[in-house]
Amino acid sequence: MIISAPSREHNPRLRTVGVIIASGLFVLLVALWRVQVVRGGDYGAKQENQSLRRIRVPAARGEIVDRNGVILANNRPSYDVAIYLDQLGRVSKRTNIVRVAQATLGIMSAELGMPLTITDSNVLSHYETRGPLPLPVWRDLRPEQVAAFAERASNLPGADLIVMPVRQHPQGSLAAHLLGYVTKADENDEEEIEKFYYYQPDSVGRQGVEKACDEYLRGSPGGRTIRVNPAGMVANDLGEKEAEQGARVMLTIDVRLQRIVEQALAHTPLPAGKQLRGAAVLLDVHTGEVLAMASLPTFDPNIFNPGTPAQTIQAVLNDPASPTFNRAIGGRYAPGSTFKTITLLAGLETSVVSPRDTVVCTGSLRIGNWPRPFKCWDHNGHGSVDAYKAITESCDVWFYEEGMKIGVDAITRVAAEFGLGQPTGFDVGNEHSGLVPNAAWKRAQGDRWREGDTAQLSIGQSSLLVTPIQMACVAATFANRGTCLHPYVVKRIEAADGQVVHEGQTDVRTHLSAKPDQIEFVRHAMLGAVQEGTVRAAQVKGMNVAGKTGTAEYDTKDGRRNRAWFIGFAPYDDPQVALSVVIEDAASGSHTTAPVAGEIFAQVFGKGTKGTVAMESGDYAD
Amino acid sequence: MRTEKYVGMIKRMDWLLFSAMVALAVASALFIYSASYHGPGQPIKDFYKMQMVWFVVGLLIYLAVSLVDYRLICQWATVWYVVAIGLLVLVLVTGQMVYGARRWLGWHGFGIQPAETAKLATLLTVSYYLFHHTLQTRRELKTVWITIAMMSVPFVLIMLEPDLGSALVLIPICFGLMFVAGVRVKHLALVAALGIVLAGVGLPIMWKSKENRTGRRSYQKDRLTVFFHRDYDLTGAGWNLNQSLIAVGSGGMTGRGYLQGTQNLLGYLPRSVTPNDFLFSVIAEEEGFVGSLVIILLYAVLLFSGLRIAANARDRLGMLLATGVVVMLFFHIFINVGMTIGLMPVTGLPLPLLSYGGSFVLASMTALGLLQNVWIHRRIY
Repeated sequence: MIISAPSREHNPRLRTVGVIIASGLFVLLVALWRVQVVRGGDYGAKQENQSLRRIRVPAARGEIVDRNGVILANNRPSYDVAIYLDQLGRVSKRTNIVRVAQATLGIMSAELGMPLTITDSNVLSHYETRGPLPLPVWRDLRPEQVAAFAERASNLPGADLIVMPVRQHPQGSLAAHLLGYVTKADENDEEEIEKFYYYQPDSVGRQGVEKACDEYLRGSPGGRTIRVNPAGMVANDLGEKEAEQGARVMLTIDVRLQRIVEQALAHTPLPAGKQLRGAAVLLDVHTGEVLAMASLPTFDPNIFNPGTPAQTIQAVLNDPASPTFNRAIGGRYAPGSTFKTITLLAGLETSVVSPRDTVVCTGSLRIGNWPRPFKCWDHNGHGSVDAYKAITESCDVWFYEEGMKIGVDAITRVAAEFGLGQPTGFDVGNEHSGLVPNAAWKRAQGDRWREGDTAQLSIGQSSLLVTPIQMACVAATFANRGTCLHPYVVKRIEAADGQVVHEGQTDVRTHLSAKPDQIEFVRHAMLGAVQEGTVRAAQVKGMNVAGKTGTAEYDTKDGRRNRAWFIGFAPYDDPQVALSVVIEDAASGSHTTAPVAGEIFAQVFGKGTKGTVAMESGDYAD
Repeated sequence: MRTEKYVGMIKRMDWLLFSAMVALAVASALFIYSASYHGPGQPIKDFYKMQMVWFVVGLLIYLAVSLVDYRLICQWATVWYVVAIGLLVLVLVTGQMVYGARRWLGWHGFGIQPAETAKLATLLTVSYYLFHHTLQTRRELKTVWITIAMMSVPFVLIMLEPDLGSALVLIPICFGLMFVAGVRVKHLALVAALGIVLAGVGLPIMWKSKENRTGRRSYQKDRLTVFFHRDYDLTGAGWNLNQSLIAVGSGGMTGRGYLQGTQNLLGYLPRSVTPNDFLFSVIAEEEGFVGSLVIILLYAVLLFSGLRIAANARDRLGMLLATGVVVMLFFHIFINVGMTIGLMPVTGLPLPLLSYGGSFVLASMTALGLLQNVWIHRRIY
């Protein structure tokens, strides 16, 4: 049969309908092409933007160990109870997330008997800024609390026990100032926030090694990429990049020696009612390594962990005695008579002083037109004093007279050779450079340098300021017969893969310009001071110790106070260690710091102290 | 004897049209499955199975409708029209309230939407009415008014449900029929202008009074605002369009792969309406522009086969019926696909054959059955 039939009418309007439909479909195709092909990338990006989230996963912080590998800082698990907002049941709106969360937390609080500290705004801001991550509610639970939670966990939907790494210092306050402490990093680090949608901050070192080696200890953060649904909750995990553990920092300190120094310092004999404040530094004289460094009062770095009440932390930070302040590198004190070793060496070097020069000490000396005479600590006078006796008996009058002859320029030049007035280059923390005054400095203060200033400088007073680590270096330089080293405490840094990324090295700072026999003379005088002079309290059985004490006077609102010093090294014949000790408010060097030094040397070398040499009160003031 | 006659008729079917329909039905089941898939281990709703059941039922109706001579069907036009109006009234009285509208008759899950039957009944009735006029009377303005009146009864009843989208479909159907029936374009333009003025004044007044009554902003007004301001209320009224655009756009040229459309998987495309209103977005995201093109081409086959059937119809009644069906399907396709990319405002108009929903699957297959009918009976024996 033929297809077309005559009854069919030709309808041009049907053609119009066809054209309209064809154009309609064409418009759809063009629009689809525009959305899918031309702008497909934009929409793809929009889609990623709304559903892909990158979460920053902080790395485990590296360990800090002593020279023998004893752990000084590592991480321990903190058991936190956290809630997952996306598991709290049907939550569709912002407003009811707070209601649902608080209701759940209320039940948990009652069940576990722990007070609720999370506020509505905590919940809301967590939901908005880090929704898929657990919201920690109770941190650092005690074992019995963990057990209590575990018993009830099945009845507490959305709640979970999460384990977070927390910095711990297993040795407690041991070497606290050197190690420093960590706190959580700023959560609003702009640069990191750009890379990650959900930012979990690292711990950041705030002091000491934790701060100085922060870059190494921190490691490199990992990341998780997740997809979220429109409520912002995790739909699936797309991938994870493991965080890289931070590097291991090995220090030069030795836990045994550190403990000895801290304990000896803590047992300093003090006049009643005085607060113990001071510092001590023990150096390896061959390398410049810090074997121990202590500062009092001290603190426990573990309190800076999450879970400690804010008041406790504030109490430590606001304590007027500044327990977190490292006096060993930041404390500035007049060195007192310990400086006489430097004055004497300057005199010998410039040939102004000959070992046989004698001065008759009558107990005081008039200088220029100063209204009052300059006194020796022994008001009865030392009689005829030569250079050797000037050190062993610490005669002030000898140094007044000879010091003025040597002159301020020679003294300050030698002091500078020992590194005074400049930072020692110690690798951890903010050390103070101290102050070595001279004529130019005095002029800058609007005054002129007088003879009396030189006399004062000669006995370590005037405006002279030094730090305990500087004085430890002075002692080490005498021990080394004139070689001054940079002190350091970071022995080695090893990345997680075992690769050594940093190694501490012995670094010679200066060689004294004095002749060996001149240095030897001062060393010998320091030995004499311990054996027969003012430093007898530092004697150790079966070992020769060389040292010099000092008592620097300073004025406070509450009257005159004494800073007691000791510098020295042992054994005299083959020096191994050098030591400096300072106590802020003490009787005198002879009475206060010399016995501490003796105790330290005896313990370090496993010997006994000579308790019999303890001096009677008032015997020696220097 | 009779069986032989029917087999012969089936043999004379437009197989291209039939194949396009089957292809779309298969795509429908596949992508409704995808739209219900929310990740491994998640329960999958039975929508795709239900849809397949509807296709089987639809196929029976399709065959029945295509084999009984359309002239016989149209002789009963008045009856269909009255029954459809009756159902529309019934739904307003006893219909189930879903999302603030009474559109459903029957038991939950197995209800029908009288608006769909009304579309078909109006199509039949108006075609039959226009067929009965001579060339002369068709050119009178009176014919236009009577046609409008016939359309207005179901139009107003559907608006009362309310289902603006379905009501609006009646307008292009009737205008299309009048146009191909030979009504003067001048008259059509006049009525269209009047209608636009009426809508421009009437709709705002209606929305205003509704807002005063319920104290809530009308969702229809929101949808229009979204249409004109792409960034309006992205987390509320503008959510669906924005997410649909992201879905379609991120499909790119070749798509993200079957069952891989994250917009649907994660629920950015609203789960409640995706299998119905936004199924095209799922296809576009998973199969890309290539997928979109294939779907549009399948529809083009459907529509132009329809127009070919209209042009080859035995009589003007067949031509009118075929044209009405084509216009009705085209309007649905254009509005729905346009809606997913912001070309058209968001309305609840489903995509013929693809969207999930029994009533519309049956209505669409009935309409396609009519097309087949006109084709099969294009010759006089």
